[in-house]
Amino acid sequence: MSSADRPRPLPPAEEPSLADRMATVDFDVGARPHITVDTRVCRSCTTKPCVTACPADLFSPTADGGVLFNYEHCFECGTCYLVCNEAGAISWGYPDGGRGVVFRKG
Amino acid sequence: MLISVVLAPADPLPDVDPLTAEVRTDRRACRLSPGDAAALELALRLADGLREGGAAPRLLAVAAGPPGHDAALREAAALGAGVLRVDRPPERPEDAEYEAHTAEALAGALTRGGDRPDLVLCGAGPADAPGALPAFLAHRLGFAQALGLLSLAPSGAGPGGGPAGLTGVRRLDRGRREVLGVPLPAVCSVEGTGAEPRRAPLAAALAAAGAPVPVVQAPAARPRVRAVSVGPARPRTRPVPPPQGDAHRRILALTGALERTERPTVLGPLGAAEAADALLAFLRRHDHLPEAEG
Amino acid sequence: MTSPSADDRRPADGPPPPPVDLGAAAPSERVDGAVAPRSTPSAGDRAAPLRFREPEPGPGPGAVDAVVVGAGPAGAAAALELARAGRSVVLLERGPFPGAKNVYGGVIYPRVLDGVLPDWREEAPVQRWVVRRSTVMLSGERAVSVDVRAPAWGRPPGNGVTAYRSDFDSWLAGEAVRAGARLVPSTTATGLLRGPGGRVAGVRTDRPGGDLPARVVIACDGVNSLLAREAGLHPGPRARHVALGVKEVIALPRDAIDQRFGLSGDEGADFEMLGCTGGIPGGGFLYTNAETVAVGAVLSVEGLASSGRRPEEVVDGIKRHPAIAPYLRGGTVKEYAAHLVPEGGYRHMPRLYGDGILVAGDAAGMTLAAGIWLEGVNFAIGAGLAAGRAAAEALALGDTGRRGLARYGRALRSSFVLADHARLRGAPGLVLSPRVQQRYPGLAADLAQAAFTVDNPAPKPGLARLLLRAARANGVRLHHLAADAWRVARVFR
Repeated sequence: MSSADRPRPLPPAEEPSLADRMATVDFDVGARPHITVDTRVCRSCTTKPCVTACPADLFSPTADGGVLFNYEHCFECGTCYLVCNEAGAISWGYPDGGRGVVFRKG
Repeated sequence: MLISVVLAPADPLPDVDPLTAEVRTDRRACRLSPGDAAALELALRLADGLREGGAAPRLLAVAAGPPGHDAALREAAALGAGVLRVDRPPERPEDAEYEAHTAEALAGALTRGGDRPDLVLCGAGPADAPGALPAFLAHRLGFAQALGLLSLAPSGAGPGGGPAGLTGVRRLDRGRREVLGVPLPAVCSVEGTGAEPRRAPLAAALAAAGAPVPVVQAPAARPRVRAVSVGPARPRTRPVPPPQGDAHRRILALTGALERTERPTVLGPLGAAEAADALLAFLRRHDHLPEAEG
Repeated sequence: MTSPSADDRRPADGPPPPPVDLGAAAPSERVDGAVAPRSTPSAGDRAAPLRFREPEPGPGPGAVDAVVVGAGPAGAAAALELARAGRSVVLLERGPFPGAKNVYGGVIYPRVLDGVLPDWREEAPVQRWVVRRSTVMLSGERAVSVDVRAPAWGRPPGNGVTAYRSDFDSWLAGEAVRAGARLVPSTTATGLLRGPGGRVAGVRTDRPGGDLPARVVIACDGVNSLLAREAGLHPGPRARHVALGVKEVIALPRDAIDQRFGLSGDEGADFEMLGCTGGIPGGGFLYTNAETVAVGAVLSVEGLASSGRRPEEVVDGIKRHPAIAPYLRGGTVKEYAAHLVPEGGYRHMPRLYGDGILVAGDAAGMTLAAGIWLEGVNFAIGAGLAAGRAAAEALALGDTGRRGLARYGRALRSSFVLADHARLRGAPGLVLSPRVQQRYPGLAADLAQAAFTVDNPAPKPGLARLLLRAARANGVRLHHLAADAWRVARVFR
């Protein structure tokens, strides 16, 4: 191990991970998924921009080329349907009244 | 039959200062815990069932707290319950008997004007309290108590078209279920998984919007047990993702096995000033300190 | 009140809501300390519990005069004006309280409320009064800023303030409720009711029995405005005209904020940044609340998608920048948030009114993202007030059709809401253009660094030469500079 001769400098103070940041957000999760993703459509999508653009990181590519989506910690922003280039893959709506994200310091 | 539901809106994500352990809640974000919501829903179902049987059950939702609790009470009102708030300041005193006082105040409200509820429902596992409130309430009212129920159904025929008692189901360990026969009057607490709460119709929500909620004052507290000291609240634990990589590598990284480390360097007996210089030079060499100036 | 016109006729949709006594099951004795509603001159008949203004006789016994969808700044302002005009108005909010779904990027300019809520300076839940406004260009590890400090902004009549939207929007909606509007939270509008001829005749909500007939609908339902789309006023936001705002609210001791930003008392600071988004069209922001600072980025959705970068990485880059990091050191993240911002400007606004419907606020794309000016809440309030007034007038004249509501468009055009947008219609294109985004911050930093580098004994090279050198190094031709200077002069005329 060549790097052992000269230990790496201490890393700068790390930014909190996205999971840490998401843990600060209050979600009153409703029973009904307000966004659904048709993963059959996603299999034909090569770029999958939703995976990187979603600020809550709710879209995960699966091994079979599809996309796994989790509605529970959704900001309800709308980025996913705007970047989705496969028409109809994402059906987007708001959660039931009173449910979903609760911003306190927005 | 009078069914009362005790609601305890609470902030599910309070801000806990990591240094002082001061807990700050957001009054607007206070909402019903899943247990409270299930208690309200079960009360509504019981009332629906009794109404079908020709009885005329009454429903009363009570909360002890600041005006911020009115939003939750209005939703209950829109679902057809009468509502009453026992005024309490928003700050929770660090008081060993806080729940006992709350039970005292609630019991007074529940039995106003010689009224007596036949059933008092609470949510099990409140977000911001130890959860002894139902027991205190049962004690104060002299009612039977059955805590941590999943479901509740009327059984037998009692006076006035109401049931003689209730049958409750409770979860035990190792997957067992316990069916309890609960006589009336009783205080029951309900788990959050018991029933998905219904939503109030729009017309009723409109009618309840902005309506004043009746308020009663809490009686002055007479503490018997005094809190000598209170330990700090702790930030809530947070699930962290499983670590990356395979176990073998992680153990190697954690223990430092197989890593080449520098042998201890002995620089011989040195004076304090030389020793400090040697240490600083070592730290600079390894980028832990900026390069020497000048 | 005049009786509604014939085109308001619609099928009756259920009986009016039965009056409910909230204390019904409570013992009948007098409850002490029952909350009496604050009565206002325009809402005197609301003093008794749960007696609200009955809808006018005529079509639709369950109908209200107006339903406002969304209790943000636009919706609350519209409801306030309608209630003050003596109209029955329902303010729907899908969050558990107004502001629960709202995020913004910095500063509210509440002077628009001067004529409506003259006491806003005392009553609005302000975190800090912005007296320092910095426009910062970041390039690599360098920064060039124009730092404006005007203590007068902290004194009446005031200028910009920072606030938490949960506080501010709840306060403004509370003012509408005080004036007599009925706020129904936790209720999502799911669609429009249609009357004869396809005119909008109310909204559907997701509550049981959730149809709410109304003579006029004001859609203030935010940037994704599903209602304006359903009404055919809007094709829906497009990725190229919408930006994603990502924000972190970071707790710091009050003293630390005061010292780091050079503030005292309730003074606040607002930094807007350019050149910190890694080539994605957009910018960054940093502003102070009382005991938190908020830092974040506003990123073109189209640019973000094609960059393949994650939004929080861009924010991390801003937080780590040597010009920004010292302000944030030692802070703890209290809330992470994301929200879309309409950035198309005047050229991409929807139609603002239709048969029985008005659109205001983010739903109408009324945010000004014009480089040195970044405003939104004031436009939402201004448009909401105009919508409320226009709807009240249209109701009084009995014509809430397209013709009756056209007064809304006229009112907006003669107010700052559309005047500012029309004047600055070229600004979004200019500010988000590749040269402004990617080349000029570097040029400015190169020029400033070279100008202030004293490498004696070499003599100073002269600014013109430095400018040429900096332009060349950043791939900017002189004719680009001239063209953009001309464009700036025209856009910001």
